[in-house]
Amino acid sequence: MSPDVVLSVRNLSVVFHTSDGDVVAVNDVSFDLRSGETLGIVGESGSGKSVTASSIMRLNNSNTASTTGSIIVSGVDVLTAEEDEVRRIRGSEVAMIFQDPLSALNPYYTVGKQIAEAYLVHHPQASKADARVVTLEMLKKVGIPNPEKRIDEFPHQFSGGMRQRIVIAIALINNPKVLIADEPTTALDVTVQAQILDLMNELQTEFQMAIVLITHDLGVIAEAALDVLVMYGGRIVERSSVEALFSEPTHPYAWGLLGAVNSLGKSDRGALVTIAGSPPSLIALPTGCSFNPRCGYAMEICTAEVPSLREIGSQGSVSACHLPDDQILTIGRKAASL
Amino acid sequence: MFMFILRRVFFALVLLLAVSFFTYMLFAMLPSDPAALTCGKNCKPDVIAANRIRLGYDKSLFEQYWLFLKGIFVGRDYGTGAAAFSCGAPSLGYSFGQHECVTTLITKTFPVTAYLSVGAFILWMLIGISSGSVAALNKGKWQDRAASIFTSVGVSLPTFYIGLLVLFSVVIWLRILPFPSYESPFVDFPTFLRTMILPWLVLAVLSAASYTRLTRNGMLEAMNEDFVRLGVAKGLTTKIILRRYVMRQALVPIVTIAGLDFAGLLGGAIITESVFSLPGMGKMSIRAVVESDLPVLVGTTMVAAVFIVVANVLVDIAYGYLDPRVRVK
Amino acid sequence: MKQRRIIAAVGFALVASVVAAACGGGSGSGSEGGTPTKGGTIHILSNGEQIAHLDPQRNYTGDDLAFVGSTMQRTLTSYKYAAGDEGSTIVPDLATDLGTHNEDGTVWSFTLRDGGTFEDGTEITCADVAYGVSRTWASDVITDGPTYASTYIDAGKYPGPYKATAAEQAAFDKAVSCDGKTITFNLSVPVADFNYTTTLLAFSPVPKAADTGEKYDMRPVASGPYKIESYTIGKSLVLVRNENWNKDSDPVRSANPDSFVYEFGLDEAVMDERMIKDAGDDQLAVSAGIQPENLPTIFDDEAFKSRRVDYYDPFVSYTNLNVKNLSCVEIRKAIYLALDREALRKAGGGPYTGDFADGFIKPALALDYKKSTMPDGLNADGTANVEAAQAAMTAAETACPEVAAHAKDGLAFYRPATPVWDKAVAIWIDSLGKVGIKLKDEPVEPSVYWPTVMNPETNYDIARGGWAPDWANASTVIPELFTTAGGFNLTRNAGDPDYAEFQTKIDAAKKELDRAKQGVMWQELNQYVVDRLWALPGTFTKAQSIWGSKVGNAYQWAPFGAFNYGDLYVKS
Repeated sequence: MSPDVVLSVRNLSVVFHTSDGDVVAVNDVSFDLRSGETLGIVGESGSGKSVTASSIMRLNNSNTASTTGSIIVSGVDVLTAEEDEVRRIRGSEVAMIFQDPLSALNPYYTVGKQIAEAYLVHHPQASKADARVVTLEMLKKVGIPNPEKRIDEFPHQFSGGMRQRIVIAIALINNPKVLIADEPTTALDVTVQAQILDLMNELQTEFQMAIVLITHDLGVIAEAALDVLVMYGGRIVERSSVEALFSEPTHPYAWGLLGAVNSLGKSDRGALVTIAGSPPSLIALPTGCSFNPRCGYAMEICTAEVPSLREIGSQGSVSACHLPDDQILTIGRKAASL
Repeated sequence: MFMFILRRVFFALVLLLAVSFFTYMLFAMLPSDPAALTCGKNCKPDVIAANRIRLGYDKSLFEQYWLFLKGIFVGRDYGTGAAAFSCGAPSLGYSFGQHECVTTLITKTFPVTAYLSVGAFILWMLIGISSGSVAALNKGKWQDRAASIFTSVGVSLPTFYIGLLVLFSVVIWLRILPFPSYESPFVDFPTFLRTMILPWLVLAVLSAASYTRLTRNGMLEAMNEDFVRLGVAKGLTTKIILRRYVMRQALVPIVTIAGLDFAGLLGGAIITESVFSLPGMGKMSIRAVVESDLPVLVGTTMVAAVFIVVANVLVDIAYGYLDPRVRVK
Repeated sequence: MKQRRIIAAVGFALVASVVAAACGGGSGSGSEGGTPTKGGTIHILSNGEQIAHLDPQRNYTGDDLAFVGSTMQRTLTSYKYAAGDEGSTIVPDLATDLGTHNEDGTVWSFTLRDGGTFEDGTEITCADVAYGVSRTWASDVITDGPTYASTYIDAGKYPGPYKATAAEQAAFDKAVSCDGKTITFNLSVPVADFNYTTTLLAFSPVPKAADTGEKYDMRPVASGPYKIESYTIGKSLVLVRNENWNKDSDPVRSANPDSFVYEFGLDEAVMDERMIKDAGDDQLAVSAGIQPENLPTIFDDEAFKSRRVDYYDPFVSYTNLNVKNLSCVEIRKAIYLALDREALRKAGGGPYTGDFADGFIKPALALDYKKSTMPDGLNADGTANVEAAQAAMTAAETACPEVAAHAKDGLAFYRPATPVWDKAVAIWIDSLGKVGIKLKDEPVEPSVYWPTVMNPETNYDIARGGWAPDWANASTVIPELFTTAGGFNLTRNAGDPDYAEFQTKIDAAKKELDRAKQGVMWQELNQYVVDRLWALPGTFTKAQSIWGSKVGNAYQWAPFGAFNYGDLYVKS
């Protein structure tokens, strides 16, 4: 592990035990995250992206889910560490922001108290007054106007965007190395989305943290991420730089995603490639490549064998597809240019 | 806030007025004739007629009601000549069955009900919330299943039969405790405790069942809230999460329902008081129903209504305090 | 809120059933030997919340009369403490003898014994007895009590002592006069058994200075061997010895225990279980009335033999026939013979509820009872005799075709709207249907049942009745139930061709001052009614009681169907 890698995920698999049977939500996922870098994880709902994110903080319920593999943060394997150790990491080494900023805030306490609480738990020697000073400072940093007054208000007194700023303030109060942002802008208005992404960029520079940005929105990825993981059916199907993804996508699912984005943006061109069908049921995943029932290029082998990740093209992209490299590159470039 | 309370108090008074009025009217609509029910053995028509005059039921219903209302503020006089007597304000009337002013009767029976209610309430909250918490924290495990059995059995068991069973087994068969004979705690505290312990427990355990469910479900629901996940993600300890995040949310409906339940209890725990022979207000009110003792019935109903109304106001205020989202500005 | 409402409803049903079940009584023998000892406390377990009236002038119910009369209040005459029908014998109490009367029984005098005192030590005077009686005229204050005094004694428009003018009071003082220790009652009608009337606590002394009217009920002044130590409605009544009571002045009461504790508000199931278990203080307890489900436990097990009793209470249940509508005896006979009395008794609880009655006077009224000759064809086992009933019906069709047609059309059957009666009505309809008689069921709200059927406007054909004598003389049974002047005549028999003869015989019996001769006359009059079936005898009802193993000399006291409270003792 190179020294600037702050998060290293290896062979992460998460199986949920439900009354309908076991559900493999995440299957053999590995990636590294370097300091100051933003890794986007993109996929539909059920692709395993959010479960991957919550696994990093060991938020999955151990009664209902089995998590295997390893997740190394600051030299500690989150998955096997003692509860106290994990609790120390949560909030101080790795912080998280959620999709819905209203439901993510405790409605019964003032925002100031919730931010200070996050500070105090990792700074047991600090007084409440100290915490208040730090909190006020943080509120300013995340752009809450009139923080001296608003520190004593309750979450419901804030707008959606402001609430997400509060959530960010909570996340960053302990200066974490990794910030996991699970759909941070999905619940917000479009104009506010951009502000929040700008804020995150700004703060990333200031705090020098790595961000895992989880989204279903390629637009957000394009704006904020450097590298991207495309997940489908619990697996990584493509890993590439954002640049490569948009110029030379290497997986039929990624083509579909791009098509969906592009056709939205350029409706007169028509939807050349849309993603037919619906996301797969995790209980009964198709055999072979999970994407095969929805794939326009599916071959016999696709129903028989799970494709492994391999490097394709010159931009360092990695893809899990049975199609020959040249065909992938040809169709990929075509899809990107549409 | 002051205006809010003022408004609530005003509505409460109007409500109480309506309660007393409808109690009067409902009573008048009952097919039974109180004058015939309470005329003793010698119920000839002329005796019934005389009894009706004595009880004041010969007057029009509205006049009766007016005298009742007036009595609350200025007291009431009864009888004539050497046999005259009066019930001072606030008079809720006179019980010819018990030969006592209703206000006096209530001041005598209410403490019994209050002791029963407060003790049982504290116990049942402790039992309900702790067993519900244990169940929620051990969802799906044996503790949860045990709590679930306790809940479904507890809410379906009739207080009457369980009360009898407990009384039979502890007092009559095993003779662990003497037969309950109520005594004021200020007169004989050990006897008071010995008398109250069984009714407290029976009422508490049976009533706790629904609070076990309420607590368990409330906590499980809260545990699924995003803000609880954020609390965990902050690195907070389980204790803090449970207290400030999970319990805090689960408590809101519990406090609301508990407030109303407690008020209802103060209006008289009829069955428990009957089984354990506690001379409380509930027992007195059910007796008033059977004996068509309208003054006692209206009096106890009014007192019960006052508690319900006051509890509603308090619960509303508490709700605003507990949940900042509904706090009045 | 919802839950509370359910609780309230259940509670109501509970108490309602308690009240329904409480309408029994009991009497009979169950005593055993042993030497009575003084001291100890007798407990009385009660489902009730209080004694209906402690005020002697307002007390009018069997058990309460027995208890209060045994402990706190004395009267001019009272009943002997004895098991069985001997308990119906009257004995002098406050008076030195059973009273003296003039030739026609319109003037009765009683002389008070020496040494009778109230609980404060003051002597009981003639004026105190007269004042006590005078209270019964104040019908607006002293309610619920018997009104015989004001019926028999002519005191003009006397309104009772609270409102009387000087003139009105003077009129009363003339009607009820005192001469030293002798009190004289001037009656407006001859009353041969006035010394039975005086067993009622309405004739108990009350010190005028202590009378608090309506409120006297809570704290009456004791004239008997016990006084109130504490009385909390819904909890208990504790009686302790009246130290000023003088045994020499009271030959009636043995006053063995030092105190009585009346425990109120007990659940009936709890009472039974405590009595069955017989532990601790419950060994010193008596409990009247047993839940039907516990009767087999107690009466089938010889272990309870020495502390249980199953005997007649004072009640007779019967059915009134409207003689005006059902004007020929044949149709009344058809109804009686067709009726399955055994099925009715079974539905009501079986043999424990009582024996089939052979008239309206109970065996406990020893002097007045003689087994009646019942109508031909009436089955002694209580079952219907359909054949005989059919024959009677055929006879009725000839004798009174209009009445028979009315019976076939449907007879109005009035009864209280209670579950017990719902069952009974079905048996009635079924029984009478077998001889072609139809019934129109008319359920009446229980509390207004009596006022309804006593209203002359109500045109019933059949209406239930039940009666207990006010004192141990059939003068409070036959005349009350079957004469036009009677307080409870629901037979509407005034138009019967035999009524005039009946009334003459009644008048003669009422005036008969020889108690034994009078008893024979009542026996004949009872047979007279049975022969004409103005009403149909139902059952001589019974009641069951149980007492603790340390209670001595317990039995059912016949005149009240209650325990012999004044004669109990605590076994050492």
